[in-house]
Amino acid sequence: MKRYILLVIGLVMTAIYLFPLYWMYLTALKGSTEIFQYPPTFWPADPRWNFLEIWKSRDMGRYIWNSLLIAIGVTILVTVLGTGCAYVLSRVRNVWMEIALFAILMMQVLPSSLMVTPIFVMFNQIGLLASPRIAVILAQTAKVLPLYIVLCRATFVQVPRELEEAALVDGSSRIGAFFRIMLPLARNGILVTSVLIFLQSFGEYVYARSLIAKNELQTATVGLQTFMGPNANDWNGIMTYAAIYVTPILIVFMLLQRRIVSGLTAGALK
Amino acid sequence: MLQIEIDHLNKHYGGFHALRDVNIAIKQGSFVALVGPSGCGKSTLLRTLAGLEKTSSGDVRIAGQSVIGKPPRERDVAMVFQSYALYPHMDVEHNMNYSMRLKRRPKDEIIERTRAAAETLGLGNLLGRLPKALSGGQRQRVAMGRAIVRNPKVFLFDEPLSNLDAALRVHMRSEIRKLHERLKATSVYVTHDQVEAMTMADHVVVMRAGVVEQQASPLDLYDRPANKFVAGFIGSPAMNFLPATAASNGVVVLDSDGAQRIELKRGFNSGLKLWVGMRPEHLSWKPGSNDIAIDATVTSIESTGSMTFVLVELAGQPVVVAHSGRPETNKGDNLRLYIAAENVHIFDRDTELTL
Repeated sequence: MKRYILLVIGLVMTAIYLFPLYWMYLTALKGSTEIFQYPPTFWPADPRWNFLEIWKSRDMGRYIWNSLLIAIGVTILVTVLGTGCAYVLSRVRNVWMEIALFAILMMQVLPSSLMVTPIFVMFNQIGLLASPRIAVILAQTAKVLPLYIVLCRATFVQVPRELEEAALVDGSSRIGAFFRIMLPLARNGILVTSVLIFLQSFGEYVYARSLIAKNELQTATVGLQTFMGPNANDWNGIMTYAAIYVTPILIVFMLLQRRIVSGLTAGALK
Repeated sequence: MLQIEIDHLNKHYGGFHALRDVNIAIKQGSFVALVGPSGCGKSTLLRTLAGLEKTSSGDVRIAGQSVIGKPPRERDVAMVFQSYALYPHMDVEHNMNYSMRLKRRPKDEIIERTRAAAETLGLGNLLGRLPKALSGGQRQRVAMGRAIVRNPKVFLFDEPLSNLDAALRVHMRSEIRKLHERLKATSVYVTHDQVEAMTMADHVVVMRAGVVEQQASPLDLYDRPANKFVAGFIGSPAMNFLPATAASNGVVVLDSDGAQRIELKRGFNSGLKLWVGMRPEHLSWKPGSNDIAIDATVTSIESTGSMTFVLVELAGQPVVVAHSGRPETNKGDNLRLYIAAENVHIFDRDTELTL
């Protein structure tokens, strides 16, 4: 009996949590009069499939391409810079490492909106704003690198030190042991963390909005925002855009959800 | 010929002095056990030989060459870890030949030697398995196989049997010993189990708190312990120790009971504080020719079937007597026990050294 009660509570909570998502898809399919109808309908009476139209009229291909470019750039940069760092932080244990880890965590606390002004001034001075997408990649990398390092470090901590020592005695160099023993064993954790970083960067808004001036270089999040104005009423268009943008992310997340959950809790090994 | 020479070796971890002036010489082809209670530095010493720990001062030579500052891969040593440390993402075959692949040996040689090692250890039909699909004993064999395919100068074992159950442990003990006799490679074996050390090794190094207390052949350690610690550590059940004071003309008086005297016919300074050590298996019911007699009271009896451990009170101190077979005695009985004079060990109570 208790199990069923818990199940019902779980379902209700999930429904509340997922309701906005449902509403987004619903509104994307409704006509403009049906959207403002009262009482509201919970299933579109006359569904409209205007996804292709919105894609074309809003030039979404370009926006999403820019978002993808930035997300991929951030992910590559973060993995290359962060993996080695996470490994070292997991292996060397002393007071300085504790301080370094604490500093890294502190950086994670600072919000983008706080950081963006100094970053803008600095990038402007060194001329980075001429290539604004690279500027966003760098700023976003700095933002998510701490998260990546902290999560990856947890993965490396779980790989027993003796495996590395066995490799060293077997005739491997330290670098060799890292690439051939540690990396393959931490692969799952690295993969999962990279996906999280990718998804976060794909939805980045503050830096893109502030550092990218030209519309044709803008990302999908900022593109969505151009719909909104003081007299916005094209809710159907907005929600269609949002649905197109969010659906691939949702699919990736659902495909990897088991790995993501286990990667974040139990870790990748065993 | 000496294969390993450890010369005035010291190791500090910050303020902690983990190895104190260690000197050990190991002959080629011998099987040496490093034994001691946990935290005595035996594993640190082994890891120093492997090159996994830096030394603070002193020298380590393998085959005549100093290896100080050299990384593990330049030392030609193989190590079997307590946790086996098998690479979880490689199957048995690749675990075993990883070292040869690193050295880029020719393919036929790799296959040939892996197969030969697998045959020796009875792993022939497990080569394609991942470590997680193996039992504890099989993992242990793979870890051994990984060491023997390399044909190294020195084998290092870090408590390799401590994760196995009792029956398998006894079996692997003799397996490792047999393997050693066939390969004739120098082996250094770390264990906290003195029985393992005594049964397997030609030469046993007893350590405590980073200091080598004594090194000798197993029977020498048993017969002639250098101090009270070694005497108590080697042998099972452990040696009984009774506080005593030297009287004149080689007579020792047990404390807390002036009546019990042991006549040893060995000269000590009168009044010297001593420990009298007697192994449980040397105390007996039946008198021999030059035996010393001691009176005791039985407090309890523990029988294991083949052996009986009789706990007695001797001069107010608890003492264990090991008796093969089943003695006809009961709790509360007064006994007269006998021990040969040469089996009585005497230690200085201040320095704890054998006198």
